[in-house]
Amino acid sequence: MMRLLRVCPTVLRQIIRSPIRSALTVIGISVAMYLFVSVEAMREGVHTATQVQAGDTTLVVYRENRFCPFSSRLPQFYGDRIERLEGVNSVVPMQIHVSNCRASLDVVTFRGVPRDELGTALASGGKITDGSVAAWERRGDAAVVGEALAARRGVRVGDRFSAAGITVFVAGILETDHPQDRNIAWVHLPFLQEAARRGGTGGLVTQFNVAVDEPAHLEAVASEIDALFRHDEHPTATRPERAFVGRAARDIVELVDFAGLLAWGALAAVFALIANAIVLAMRDRLRDHAVLQTLGFSGPLIAWMVLVEGATLGLVGGLLGAIGAFATVRVGHFSLTMEGLNIEIASGWSAPLVGIAAALALGVLAAIVPALRLARRDIASCFRAV
Amino acid sequence: MALIECRHLTRTYKRGAEAITPLQDLDLDIEAGAFVALMGPSGSGKTTLLNLLAGIDRPTAGTLSVAGSPVHTLARGELARWRSTHVGYIFQLYNLIPVLTAYENVELPLLLQPMSRSERHARVAAALEAVSISDRHAHYPRQLSGGQEQRVAIARAIVTEPSILLADEPTGDLDRATATSMMELLARLNAEQGRTIVMVTHDPRTTEWADTVLHLEKGKLVEQAVGGAA
Repeated sequence: MMRLLRVCPTVLRQIIRSPIRSALTVIGISVAMYLFVSVEAMREGVHTATQVQAGDTTLVVYRENRFCPFSSRLPQFYGDRIERLEGVNSVVPMQIHVSNCRASLDVVTFRGVPRDELGTALASGGKITDGSVAAWERRGDAAVVGEALAARRGVRVGDRFSAAGITVFVAGILETDHPQDRNIAWVHLPFLQEAARRGGTGGLVTQFNVAVDEPAHLEAVASEIDALFRHDEHPTATRPERAFVGRAARDIVELVDFAGLLAWGALAAVFALIANAIVLAMRDRLRDHAVLQTLGFSGPLIAWMVLVEGATLGLVGGLLGAIGAFATVRVGHFSLTMEGLNIEIASGWSAPLVGIAAALALGVLAAIVPALRLARRDIASCFRAV
Repeated sequence: MALIECRHLTRTYKRGAEAITPLQDLDLDIEAGAFVALMGPSGSGKTTLLNLLAGIDRPTAGTLSVAGSPVHTLARGELARWRSTHVGYIFQLYNLIPVLTAYENVELPLLLQPMSRSERHARVAAALEAVSISDRHAHYPRQLSGGQEQRVAIARAIVTEPSILLADEPTGDLDRATATSMMELLARLNAEQGRTIVMVTHDPRTTEWADTVLHLEKGKLVEQAVGGAA
């Protein structure tokens, strides 16, 4: 065991003192891992935003057969009728206004809620880290801004910012675990309705967010809501919030799923790069390995040295690529927004850690065959080959 | 009992359908502390014998015992372990690892031994001192002359204090003056440290440092003479 550790510095010297080959390999691996981790972060964000989870209790009531906030128009009084249904804890009518209805990395989504319902509208687990609800209630043009949106736009409490022709005063910054809320500007419902009245939508809202008492009641309450308005002028389509996001952002989901192929391609590139680097290095060092065997290095010990070399190249490249992607996502606060729905690109450690582990594993895998071949080679044939 | 005992030692290779026997039915005893020169024309079996003594090749028939170890019976892994403690090998073309410094090259065989870093350092320093190359310990092989490289290779061969030192034409790639100083170094190691040396050579002048000269022809020992040092 100690032998295995004692030879590791020699392997590192071989890597460091072949700087051009090592640098080219590590750069190639890190670029591929940057791509892999970025795509994985995107996929993770989509998964978090669209997969219904066991503890979810929020329903979204939307106009049936409408998928854009500009076309979903529901009368605000529907909220009173929904609230009377059994199993419903609260109903928050929302007017949604977006700066851009297309898929984009920088869309501002305004959600209008009644003055006394901001606390209910903000998902549990959220807290206002700067500013206050009271400050929001005092001003008609006030907005509580999600942390990701605030960071992306560089706004703080007391600032004003404009989007989609609406100018708001920042009264608070919201920090929350709920990805949908991190990219939202929460404003007063009448203020947003007034802003949108120019389009003739006064008294209408885009959607209702309905909180039910038990996750198990989610489907039953959704069916009851849709049954309630089936024969109205504005029939509804009610879904769990994450399913609603998944359905509305289906194009993004498909796009991101396709991008998953790129991630696999990146992994294949890492494997090929390391395998190529190791095979070339082994060919160059055939005489060195014969010398090592003559000195008493056994076949398995030499195979171990090759594996350590592959693993080190993979690990260094993986670390650089993963940290680069992590920093990009963290600093950029990117979210994919489509028709007013935000899918935040995950900025946690999970995707980078998966990337680093994958690079390490691929490094070892790529070195296995050259290592085994070298371990089986006898000294005389190594000397004859050079 | 001799340090090295060969009995009916035979090595046969297959090249296609043809069988080649570079070493045939050799009986040989080498005493501890001897300095033996192996001579003979190309293809006479000198290097094959050296490789068998070093445990980097295996006999097809016969027995080989070094310091009481039946080398011909050892499995591949055991043979590697045995080499690491019993054999020091000096190549004609030095064969230093190019990306390692002189110090690191000499340290390599000690990585296989259970010893602390400070102990390793002391052993490497002593080996470099013994071959008078301490001042070049931080140099890479490309920064050394041929003679200096061969000194480092000798330091690498003696650092584990092996039972036998095997040298395959150690002066074959050196100019005359450097070759002489290299032979003096080997003779000094033989005389002062009692190292048993078996050296393959084509150069008759180098035999004056050996105490025994063995002549091989067609895989057989044809003459055993007294060297210049005897």
